[in-house]
Amino acid sequence: MFNLNAIVQKAQSLIDSSAANHKPDSTPSKAEFFRLQFRLPESQSPLHEITAELSLSAPHSTRSIPQSNGEKARSSDKSDRGNTYIGKFHLSESFLCFSTQNTSFLPHSTLQASSAFTGQTHGAGPAGNGFTIPLCAIRRVERLQSQNALFALAITTWNGSIVAGKQATPANVQKFTVQLAGSRSACERFCDGLKKGLKDAIKEMESMRSVISQCYSEYLLSPERLAKIDSSQINSSKDPPDAGLGMVFRYPGDAKKLRDRSKMRLWGEYFRENGRNATLIRQPTFHKLIRVGLPNRLRGEVWELTSGSLFMRLQKPKLFEETLSKYSGRGSLAIDEIEKDLNRSLPEYPGFQSEEGIGRLRRVLTAYSWTNEEVGYCQAMNIVVAALLIYLSESQAFFLLSVLCGRLLPGYYSTTMYGTLLDQRVFESLVEKTMPVLWEHLVKSDVQLSVVSLPWFLSLYINSMPLVFAFRVLDVFFLEGPKVLFQIGLAILRMNGEELLDITDDGTFISILKTYFSRLGESAYPKSENEKTRGITRFQELMVTAFKEFSGITQETISEQRAKHKDAVLDNIESFAKRTSIRNLGPDSKRLSMDDLGFLYDRFYGILYEREQRMQLLREEADHRAKANKLMANEIVTGIPGNKSVEIGRVGLGPSPTQMNYDAFREFLTGITRWAVTDSPTSPRKDSVSETSSVYSGHSGRSRSLSLSPWGAGAEPTDHDFMQRLYGKWNIEDRDGLSLQNVVSGLAQVKGTTDLMSTISYFFDLYDDDGDGKVDREGILRISEALLFLTRRGLGGILTSPSSSANNANGDSDLSSTNIDERFLSSVSAFIRRCFEYADPDHPQHESTGTATSQSQLEDNVNAFSIGDDDDEEDLLDLGSGSPKSLPQSPSTPSSTAPKLHVDPSQKANPTSRKASANLALDPANPLHITLPTFRMVILADELLQAFFESSFPNSFHLSSTSSVSRTPTLSTFAAPNGLSSQLPLPAAGRSGGIVPPNKGLRGVLDNIVSDGMRVAGEVRKRMDEAQREMEKNAVSHRHEDEDDEDRAMAGDEEETDRRSVREADRDLLEGAEADAGIGSKGQMGQDELLILGDPGSPRSEKSPAEKLVDFEH
Amino acid sequence: MAETTAAPPKPSSSVKLVLLGEAAVGKSSLVLRFVNNDFQENKEPTIGAAFLTQKCNLPHRTIKFEIWDTAGQERFASLAPMYYRNAQSALVVYDLTKPTSLVKARHWVAELQRQASPGIVIALVGNKLDLTNEQSTEDPAIHGDDEGSTTETAEAESDGDARKISTKEGREYAEEEGLLFFETSAKSGVNVQEVFTAIANAIPETQMKGARGAGAAGGTQTALGAGTERVNLTGPRGEVGAKEGCAC
Ligand SMILES: Nc1nc2c(ncn2[C@@H]2O[C@H](COP(=O)(O)OP(=O)(O)OP(=O)(O)O)[C@@H](O)[C@H]2O)c(=O)[nH]1
Ligand SMILES: [Mg+2]
Repeated sequence: MFNLNAIVQKAQSLIDSSAANHKPDSTPSKAEFFRLQFRLPESQSPLHEITAELSLSAPHSTRSIPQSNGEKARSSDKSDRGNTYIGKFHLSESFLCFSTQNTSFLPHSTLQASSAFTGQTHGAGPAGNGFTIPLCAIRRVERLQSQNALFALAITTWNGSIVAGKQATPANVQKFTVQLAGSRSACERFCDGLKKGLKDAIKEMESMRSVISQCYSEYLLSPERLAKIDSSQINSSKDPPDAGLGMVFRYPGDAKKLRDRSKMRLWGEYFRENGRNATLIRQPTFHKLIRVGLPNRLRGEVWELTSGSLFMRLQKPKLFEETLSKYSGRGSLAIDEIEKDLNRSLPEYPGFQSEEGIGRLRRVLTAYSWTNEEVGYCQAMNIVVAALLIYLSESQAFFLLSVLCGRLLPGYYSTTMYGTLLDQRVFESLVEKTMPVLWEHLVKSDVQLSVVSLPWFLSLYINSMPLVFAFRVLDVFFLEGPKVLFQIGLAILRMNGEELLDITDDGTFISILKTYFSRLGESAYPKSENEKTRGITRFQELMVTAFKEFSGITQETISEQRAKHKDAVLDNIESFAKRTSIRNLGPDSKRLSMDDLGFLYDRFYGILYEREQRMQLLREEADHRAKANKLMANEIVTGIPGNKSVEIGRVGLGPSPTQMNYDAFREFLTGITRWAVTDSPTSPRKDSVSETSSVYSGHSGRSRSLSLSPWGAGAEPTDHDFMQRLYGKWNIEDRDGLSLQNVVSGLAQVKGTTDLMSTISYFFDLYDDDGDGKVDREGILRISEALLFLTRRGLGGILTSPSSSANNANGDSDLSSTNIDERFLSSVSAFIRRCFEYADPDHPQHESTGTATSQSQLEDNVNAFSIGDDDDEEDLLDLGSGSPKSLPQSPSTPSSTAPKLHVDPSQKANPTSRKASANLALDPANPLHITLPTFRMVILADELLQAFFESSFPNSFHLSSTSSVSRTPTLSTFAAPNGLSSQLPLPAAGRSGGIVPPNKGLRGVLDNIVSDGMRVAGEVRKRMDEAQREMEKNAVSHRHEDEDDEDRAMAGDEEETDRRSVREADRDLLEGAEADAGIGSKGQMGQDELLILGDPGSPRSEKSPAEKLVDFEH
Repeated sequence: MAETTAAPPKPSSSVKLVLLGEAAVGKSSLVLRFVNNDFQENKEPTIGAAFLTQKCNLPHRTIKFEIWDTAGQERFASLAPMYYRNAQSALVVYDLTKPTSLVKARHWVAELQRQASPGIVIALVGNKLDLTNEQSTEDPAIHGDDEGSTTETAEAESDGDARKISTKEGREYAEEEGLLFFETSAKSGVNVQEVFTAIANAIPETQMKGARGAGAAGGTQTALGAGTERVNLTGPRGEVGAKEGCAC
């Protein structure tokens, strides 16, 4: 007897180290390889494995002689002891598996090491000789006393008595012994695991029974039936289980010619000796029987078994029916598409000219479309399913379709069909490799191979070959996997090689193959003397060629090739999708350049893609590594990333999100505007900004090193009322998100027109909430806030000459040193003032009461809260006049803004009367609004505001670098020269603004100007609220409130002095910072720019390389 | 393949033609009618594409159509470039009873104009005319002679008229884009030969296969324009389309 000890010792170290813990192994490749090898459902994982020797009792016949061509299978003394195999025993949650194939699922098993099972099948299929038995089909496990103190188990199954439930006749009893080869503890662990599994499995007995009862083999071998055949009684008490439409409408082909009866007999014999359906043991004969073609009534069952769909059905026996009833009455796009094709599926088969057949087809396709909405329905599935239904019941076909779409034909029927296209590339490369002469000829003749081969793969040869032959291909395909499709394809070309070398165009290519297919049933050697040789059909010849000559094509080959071509194929699909999508964007898109549209497309889907990935990663983080690992393994095995893999969301892979929600929109904006980037990021940033921002548009070689922050590696977006409004405005259909179409149309309106007037009215519309052409007091304030928000990083692109900037009548200010941002602040406060000044009262009756005084009252009102000096009537913020020196040389300036917001002492002296009379404009009982003409007038009255609407605002959206440069030359003051990747997102320093750490002093000063500006609006609003409250309250309380005001003002003053001193210190630090700025990275450009804005005259601007970028004051 | 005509020696050239359009509008049926003069009620959806050939004998030359009939389902769209590559002509088909199919047809026209060979001759074809009122009984010859007769029935919703896209709408779009325009029925055969003949006539000789390399008059999309005109393409528009009758 074969001595196991050597192997045992060797294996021990490996096994023990890997199986030391009893937890399900989360090693990626292991679990997935395990499932693939034994065709198990996703829920299964390899819990225990152990080397073992399987001894099968002697067969009743001597037919099954195991092959020993290189396999470890060894027949020891076949005469008396039956067959013995050495292999690995595996235990999962609900299955016990054995395989003679190399199944070293080492923790880090490589593709090479673990894909051995995908190699040549040596007569026993991918799983080797062995079995995959559900634990609930095991009846008894006994421990045998064995001579050398090893563990030996005798396993008895329910084979043959699952359905009957009663004692099996002795002939039926399936019993085999397994000798475990491992350390004592390993054996015990395995046995404990098995014990536990068996206990748990008891509850699955019922579903097992119902599933098995639908297997034709049970009927075939049932004692009743056998008895009846003997007594030649026709009416049986039990109807045979549904073995497809063929039972009603006949099976394709001539049963006699197919030798169906003798095949059936052989299978009956095999089942009796090796078990049936769930308890079948694979011995070499199994594979041979499949290669010669399955008999009609067993075809479906064996497909189920070899593909593993039987095991899926075992787990959820009712899934098909439940899905149908759950979704009954509901419609979908897929269902419409299915309906269209129901009458168009194998119409030549009588079963599909009947309501019965059509109904089955409808139910299977519909149910599947619900369980996999990403795939839904793809033409060709109707043909494949129709073919399956000839041999399978509805439920069986449903599960087999799941295995097809999920495991065997990954990505074939997805919405982009990337799997199909990828396998076409793979096929082409295999042709090139194996038939270089033919390949060269095809290339030379400009004949595209895939125009011929694509339908072969997509419909599994079903509508290329005559049905009988296509089914023969399917028989092997379900056993051996996708490589079979390639082998057959290569063999077809090989068989026609010579003729194909003469072709010059697609037409002849196709017709040669058409002719070939139509003659598959003919003799391959019609002229042969030998009758036997003459009997060989062209199809047989094809099969031999496929599996002999192309035996080198293994699943590993396919996986390698898929991995190699994947990126190119996906890129192609994506650029096609991009082209198509951009072309179909509609008339608005014409207002943007092609470059812009391309850029927007990339940015739009890039954001969605990255967000998907991030979400996925975060989910996985929480979900432990297990899931991610499994998906990766799937990718390793199939060469195609699963739909759920880390590449989720990639356009080329299939359905990806097409809608951008508000958060995604915010993120989107950070890529095209600077104002959307937050001032106070919550998470520290990564430095490699430019790399990651081009992750998507780069397509291939995209980096997977995504930051796990909620915003990824890109800039973190801020949130602002303006962004919400923009989102709302662009969301025309008012759905959950923006489509690319929405974004393009939206941008076309702000960016596609450089027309000042339309931009102004667009802006106005944003704030006209109810669309009545009026913006109320609240809206005016919000507009002013938005103006400051949008310009808080500078007013890029506005060139204003000193003389023209005098519009503010800021007579005594030193124009040359007046900073443009400061002036913009003035403009905004002037804007508020003017808006109120020219606003219309909502209710004419109010006007009538105070017509005569309204104008002056309004002015008073404005003064009432804008005050600084009495003569400074034009501004809420008196930046220029109060500080002749500009920032940052005058650190007092920002501090001067805040106090000015506070109430004038003269007001305080007489607050009640003053307010009462002054606040007509603020009087909530006296609502007012501006109309578009007013708004326009106010904007046009101020050169800076006008410039803002004319250029800064539209230009604050950066699309493709080329177009934005050509369109707006002045933008160069704003944008870094190297386009978006370097310009966006904002430099690191800029994002920390607001908080003003000491070493960011200058930046902080500037931020303060901005935030002070924002505060102006906020303060105004506060005042208004106060005023409102005041109106509501009794006058008695006023005194008190004003004291509060005073307190606050004083507190503010103290704060200011504090702040000032800090700033002075900052300034010193600055000198050092400036020295660094020149050598700073591009990323710091933004910072420099902002700095210089405040100080155009500083000596630094001469030496700084950033000077030209920002020096728009000159 | 169903070539039967034993034509006298005439200059013969082949023309690659591609059919595009939404699923189930009747592309394969049109080809089947043209090639085999046959119609099948339940035609299998095309997987990938089907290839057929048919000769078309014009008085002064013979044209062999190499027809690529593509799959219509949306997700097959990315395969289309494989088939319209080098095509000199295209049939963009929609279903007169299905408004969405015209939208899809517009997309195809746009794609062809951008991506296919310059100068590709495109015919816009509204199929299933037999399901509309006017054509089921009428003689095809009456149809399309003048605009009045067709437009009046356009919006008709009366008894059994399943038409959803008016002749006017299709024609105007075709005129805009400079496409040939026909309304056909693969079922009854109305206008099917005419479409192919018009295309044959519209292809400038310089564009023929064989003469392809000669640079040809790239970009000379002949605006044969409007109407369900049959072969007699009169008027200035037919300058390239030789006014030959087709005897195929
Ligand atoms: N009444 C009517 N039915 C038609 C006509 N042409 C086609 N059909 C029917 O419409 C259905 C679809 O026809 P096909 O020719 O397969 O359509 P297709 O455009 O090739 O479809 P795909 O290959 O899926 O893109 C079939 O059931 C045809 O019988 C027609 O002119 N009139
Ligand atoms: Mg078709």
